[in-house]
Amino acid sequence: MTQDNHNNAYKFGMVIDLDKCTGCGSCMVSCMSENNVPFKEDESNKRDSITWMRVYKLTNGKSFPDTEIAYLPRPCQHCGGEGDHGHSPCVSVCPATATDYGYDTGIVSQIYTRCFGCRYCMGACPYHARYFNWWDPKWPEGMEKYLSPDVSPRMRGIVEKCSFCYHRYQAARDKAYYHGDKDHIKEEDYQTACTTACPSNAITFGDLNNPAHKVHQIVKPDPHPDPRNHHVVGKSRNPKVFRLLERLGTNPKVYYLSEREWVRKQGDHYLEGEWDKIKNHHGTTSHG
Amino acid sequence: MQSATRKKQATKVIVSSVTSKNQKHETLNFNGELYMKVDRRSFLGLGLGAVAGVAVSPVGLKLTDDSSIWTQNWPWTPVPVDGRVNYEKSVCSLCPGSCGISVRKIDNRPVKIEGLSDYPVNDGGACLHGIAGLQYLYDPARVKTPLKKNGDKFEKISWNDAIALIAEKLKGIRTEGTPEKLACITDKDQGSVSGLFRRLLETFGSSEFYTMPSLESYLELTASTFHGKGNTIAFDLENANFVLSFGAGIIEGWGSPVACFKANASRKERHAKLYQIEPRLSNTAANADKWIPVNPGTEADLALGLCAVILKNNLFDGSATINFMGGFNKFNAMLKRDYSLSKTAKITGIKASEIEKTAKMFAKAKKPVAVFGKGRGDGAQSLKELAAVHMLNCLVGNINKKGGVFVKPVSQYLNFPSQSMDRVADAGFGKNKTGSTVNQLFEKIDKSAQPLIEALFVYNANPGYNLHDSKRVKKTLDKIPFKVSFSSLLDETAMLCDIILPNHTFMERIEDVPSGAGFAKTVVGLSKPIIKPLLNTKHPGDSVILIAKALGGNVAKSFEWANYDQCLESVTSNIWSPLSKRGFVVISKGVPAYRPLVNVSFLAQNPATINAKGDYALTLIPIDNMRLINTGTASSPFAVKTVSDTVIKGKDIVVEINPLTAIGLKDKGFATLTTPLGKARVKININEGMMPGVIGMVRGLGHTFDNKYVSNIGVNINDLIGQVIEPGSGLDAAFGIKAKLVAA
Amino acid sequence: MSELENKAKNDSTISAGEKIAQKIKDDKGLGQGVILFIIAFVVCFAGSTLLFPKLLYSKKEQPFNFDHYLHVYEAGDCEACHYLREDGSFSGIPKLETCMECHVEEPLGVTDDEVVFVKEYLAKDKEIPWHVYAKQPDCVFFSHAGHIDTGARMDFNECHGPIEETKTSRTYEENRITGYSRDIWGKNIFGIKKNSWDRMKMDDCAKCHKEETGHQGYCFQCHK
Repeated sequence: MTQDNHNNAYKFGMVIDLDKCTGCGSCMVSCMSENNVPFKEDESNKRDSITWMRVYKLTNGKSFPDTEIAYLPRPCQHCGGEGDHGHSPCVSVCPATATDYGYDTGIVSQIYTRCFGCRYCMGACPYHARYFNWWDPKWPEGMEKYLSPDVSPRMRGIVEKCSFCYHRYQAARDKAYYHGDKDHIKEEDYQTACTTACPSNAITFGDLNNPAHKVHQIVKPDPHPDPRNHHVVGKSRNPKVFRLLERLGTNPKVYYLSEREWVRKQGDHYLEGEWDKIKNHHGTTSHG
Repeated sequence: MQSATRKKQATKVIVSSVTSKNQKHETLNFNGELYMKVDRRSFLGLGLGAVAGVAVSPVGLKLTDDSSIWTQNWPWTPVPVDGRVNYEKSVCSLCPGSCGISVRKIDNRPVKIEGLSDYPVNDGGACLHGIAGLQYLYDPARVKTPLKKNGDKFEKISWNDAIALIAEKLKGIRTEGTPEKLACITDKDQGSVSGLFRRLLETFGSSEFYTMPSLESYLELTASTFHGKGNTIAFDLENANFVLSFGAGIIEGWGSPVACFKANASRKERHAKLYQIEPRLSNTAANADKWIPVNPGTEADLALGLCAVILKNNLFDGSATINFMGGFNKFNAMLKRDYSLSKTAKITGIKASEIEKTAKMFAKAKKPVAVFGKGRGDGAQSLKELAAVHMLNCLVGNINKKGGVFVKPVSQYLNFPSQSMDRVADAGFGKNKTGSTVNQLFEKIDKSAQPLIEALFVYNANPGYNLHDSKRVKKTLDKIPFKVSFSSLLDETAMLCDIILPNHTFMERIEDVPSGAGFAKTVVGLSKPIIKPLLNTKHPGDSVILIAKALGGNVAKSFEWANYDQCLESVTSNIWSPLSKRGFVVISKGVPAYRPLVNVSFLAQNPATINAKGDYALTLIPIDNMRLINTGTASSPFAVKTVSDTVIKGKDIVVEINPLTAIGLKDKGFATLTTPLGKARVKININEGMMPGVIGMVRGLGHTFDNKYVSNIGVNINDLIGQVIEPGSGLDAAFGIKAKLVAA
Repeated sequence: MSELENKAKNDSTISAGEKIAQKIKDDKGLGQGVILFIIAFVVCFAGSTLLFPKLLYSKKEQPFNFDHYLHVYEAGDCEACHYLREDGSFSGIPKLETCMECHVEEPLGVTDDEVVFVKEYLAKDKEIPWHVYAKQPDCVFFSHAGHIDTGARMDFNECHGPIEETKTSRTYEENRITGYSRDIWGKNIFGIKKNSWDRMKMDDCAKCHKEETGHQGYCFQCHK
C-alpha cells in the first residue's frame, strides 16, 4: 500500500442528481438507521442535531411566484485535499490521529475511541459534515435492540461523521475474499445506505477511478489538475456537474448534477460577474 | 528513568523537613525518641522503597492504559450483539403504499428495514417512515397489555376478561334489539382484517361500518359517481407524458408514495411534463416543470374552466364523449354560463392566457392525465373538485388507456364463506346507515339528543386526532357509552376508549396487504412476522375472532376459524399458494380492457363550491410534508429529526407566509394564529413560496400522548379547522379556514 | 545532609554532645535505611506485580468445561464449528444450532460437562453464555476472511495459540476497569510477549501489518 491516490486504488465517490432529489428524507433516515445514529428529545437545533447525511434546502431567491426550490443532500465530502494528495482539511488538523485518509479507498475515517473531542476537525471542515456528541446517546428502553453491530455506537464528547458506510465496504471485501477475488469489489456489492434507499435513484455511488462504474461515467473526472488552479484535481468534465466550494481545492468526492444553472451557482460563492466568466470551464479536454 | 526517581526522592526529603519545622517541641521530643528505634532515614528508606517498588511494577502503566480505554468505552454505551446476517421479506403497512420491504436481521434481531428489490410496487426504494419502522416496534408509547378504563386511568386487564367484558356489553345491546347501535371505524375497507371487522358488524346486525377519509375512499367515490358502484380509479403515472396535478403531492406522500417517487424520477428520461396547481410551492411544485399558483379552494373551478376551454375549442375526444350520459349538454351549457375564461381567471387568480394555454397543452398531449386529491389525498376533499378534475380525463378520452386513468372494479381477492344471519342481524343490518361518511356520523351523533351509537370499535384509526375540529370529535366520542380501541399505540382516540386491545405491530404479524391509493397495478403482498411479539398483544384478526366466539349464536357460527392464521389461509385460498411462496401476487396490471360508461350528472347539476369558514382576511391551509406522518400514528423519532427548523422549532410549530402577508410580523418571530375555532401560538417563517394571503401549517404535529420524542410539538391543525360537509356527497370539504395572524 | 541540619536547628533542647552521639547512631541508621529501602522495594514490587493482577481481573468460569481436543478429534477440523459464512463473515463461537448437528437429545459421551450442556442448554433451548477469550472491543472490525486461507493464509494458532490441544476451558479473566478479556493485554502483566498469540493489542496488529504489507494500515481497515 503506497501513499498514492491515483494508482491501483479505489476512489469511492458519489454523484447526486439534484433534479431528481425531492427532499423526501429517505437518505437521512436510512443513514441514521444504518449507522446507529442517536436521537434526542429536541432535534430542531440543527447545530447539535447529528445527521451524517443532511438535506439542505436551496432557493433561487426570487419572489413569488418565480421562486424555486432545490434540495441538496450533504454527506461527508471525503475530501482528497489540495492536489488530491490526501490532506483533507479535517485530517490535517486532528491532533489525535482519530481521522485519517485511506489512500486505498479515498475514504476519510473517523475513529470514535481515538477522538478526544477537541473539535478542530469541525472547525476545519468547510461543509459542516462533522457533528459533536454533546450528550451520551440514549435509546428508549428496549430500542437499543435494533442497533447494528456493524457500526459501533458513539459516546459523548467525540466527533462523528459519514463514513460512506465503510462497514459495507468491509462486508463487500469479506465477501470478495471468500469468493477469491479480493481485489475486485463489485459495484453492486458496495453501495451506501443512502444510495440504496433513495426512492428517486438520485444518488449514484461507486469507484471514480473505474471507467466501468456509473459514477465515473456521469462525472467524467479530469485526472489532471485544473490549469487555472492546480490544487483542484478531478474536476468533472460534465458541464452539469459541480462540487461544493470547488475552488478551495479540498477536492471532494461528492459531486452534484443539475440542469439548472441557479442550482449549480449555489455550489460556491461568487463575486459579481464572476460566475459568468467561469461557468463554462469544465476541466481539461484531454483524456488522462 | 533513574534520574527521575532520584529527583522524586529529593523532593520527598524537602517536603518532610518542612513538615518537621512546623511541629511543636513536645511532639518533636516524642518523635526524637521514636527515631531512636526506627529513625527517620529508615522510615524514608521504607517509604521510598515502597514507592519505587510500585513505580517500577506494571501497575502504573497498566492502570494508565486501562483507564484510557475505560474513557473510550463507557460501560453504559450499548454494544450491539453480532451474529449471522440474514434478510426477510415482508410488506410495509404503515401507509396505503404497501411497499415490499427487506428486513436485515442479526440472528433473530431485526436491525434495518430497506426497500425490497423487484417488488412490483416500489422495486427497491423506500420512504423514510418505512425505513424507520423499527422505531414503531420499540415505541415507548406502545400499549403493552390489554387495558380497561377506570375513571380517568387505565388498568391492566387480562385478555380473557377484556374479551368477556366486550361480549357482555355487546350482548346487552343485542338483547335490547338495537344491534345497529354498534359501529366500527377502520382505516380502510380492504384486506382480511377489515373484512373480519365488517363481518362481525354485519352478523351482529349493523351496517355502521366506516372508514377514515383516504385517497382510496375518494377514488372509489369518484369512480362510482362517474362509472358506477364497485369501481375505483388508478393513475398510470409512470407512462403519462403530461401530468396535470391539482395539488396532488406526488412526491409528498400522495398515493403509493415510493411508486410515485419512481414515476416522477423517470419523468426526465421519458420527457414527460408535470404541471402542479396549488397555492404553495410544495416539493412537488418545485420539482414540476411548471408551478401554477391557484387561490386555495378554487381548484374545482379551474378544472371546470379548463373543461370549458377544451369544449369551446373542440379539443375533446369525440369518440369518448359519445359514451357520456347524465346530461352532457347541460354540463356544457353550465360551463359556458359560469366558467368563461375571464370568470375562471377571476375566481382562481390565474391569468386567462395561462388557463387557455394549459388547457390546450393538456388536450393536445399524447398521454395526458389529470390527477386529483390535493396534498396526500387523504385530507378533506370536495366531490365537486374530484369530479371536475376527473372530467378533464373523461373529456380527453384517456380512460383505460396507457398513461391515462384506469377505471377498474375494486379488487375482490378475498373469499369469505357465507355468513350466518339471524333475525336480529337481518333486521339491524337492513337499517340505513347513520351517515354516508365518518364525518357525517360524528355530526349526527353530536347533534342528536338520543344515543345513536351505543358501542364503537376503532381499528387503525385515530378520529380524535385526524378529523377536523378534533376537540369536538373527542366530545362526540365521549357521548358513545362504550368504545373499544384496537391499537398498538396509546393514541388520542385510544385514550378515550373504555377498553384497549393492543395489536401486534406490522413487524410482528401476518396479514394480506393489498396495494391501492391510485396505483396502476393491483398487488396483494403478504406481511410476515419478522420478530416474535414483544409484548402482551394480539393480532387484531384474532381479537375479532375471539369477540365473535364469545358472542355465540350466529356471530360465532360465522367465525369458525381456530385463529386468524387459519382464516387468512382460507379466505385467500385463491391466491394463497403464490402469496405465501413469493410474498406477493399481482392481481391485475396493464390497461383494463373495457370502456366504462361516463355519467356526468353530478357535475351537470352544478354543485356549489365550498368556501372557507369565517370572516378573517387570511386563509389557513394544511401542508403535507413528506417527512411527517399525518394519519393517526405519530411520526417516528428519526422522521421528526429530519424535519426542518422552518417547520418545527423547539416545541413550536412554524407557519409559512408570504412576505406580503407578513405585515407587522418578523421571520422567526412568534404570532397568535386565530381561526373561528381557536387560537394557537406559532412561529413565523417568511417564505416566497407561499401565496400572499395564505397561511400554511403542517399536518401531523400536536400529538398529545406520551412519547417525548414526537408528542406535544406544536399544534394539531385539525383543532383549528372546522368541518364543512358538502351537500350531496357528505364529505368534509373544508380545504382550509379563514384566519388572522397577530404578532405575539 | 540538609535533613540533619534542620533537625539540629530545631532540636534546641538537645545538647551538642547528644547531637553528635545521635549522629553516630544515625549513621548506622543510614545502612538500615538502605536495607529497608531494598526490602520495601522488593516487597512492594513483588506484591503489586503479583497482587495487582488479582485485583484487576475478575475470574469467571465458563458455563461448563469444553474439550477442544475431543471435539477436533470427533468433528475432524476446526472449520466444522468455526467457519466462514458465504457472505465472508466469520461464524465465531457456534450457536446451539451448530452443536445440535451432532448432539441431539441424549449425551454422546460420559462427562458431567456434557450432562450440564444437555440439561441446562439443549433441553431448554438456551444459548450457552460462553466467555470469549479473544473478544475484541466493539470498535474493532476484524476480518477472518482476510487473514485465514481466503486471505493472508495465516494459521489460526498465530493468534489463538494451540487451542485445539486443550482439554479443559481455562478460567476467563475480565479486566474490571475496561471489561476486556485478559488475553488482549496478555497473561503477562508487564505485557511481555513470548508467543505471537500472547497479546492482541492494536500495536500487535499494526506491527504484523507493517511487516507483511509494508504499511500498518488505515484506521478504517480495522475499526468500525
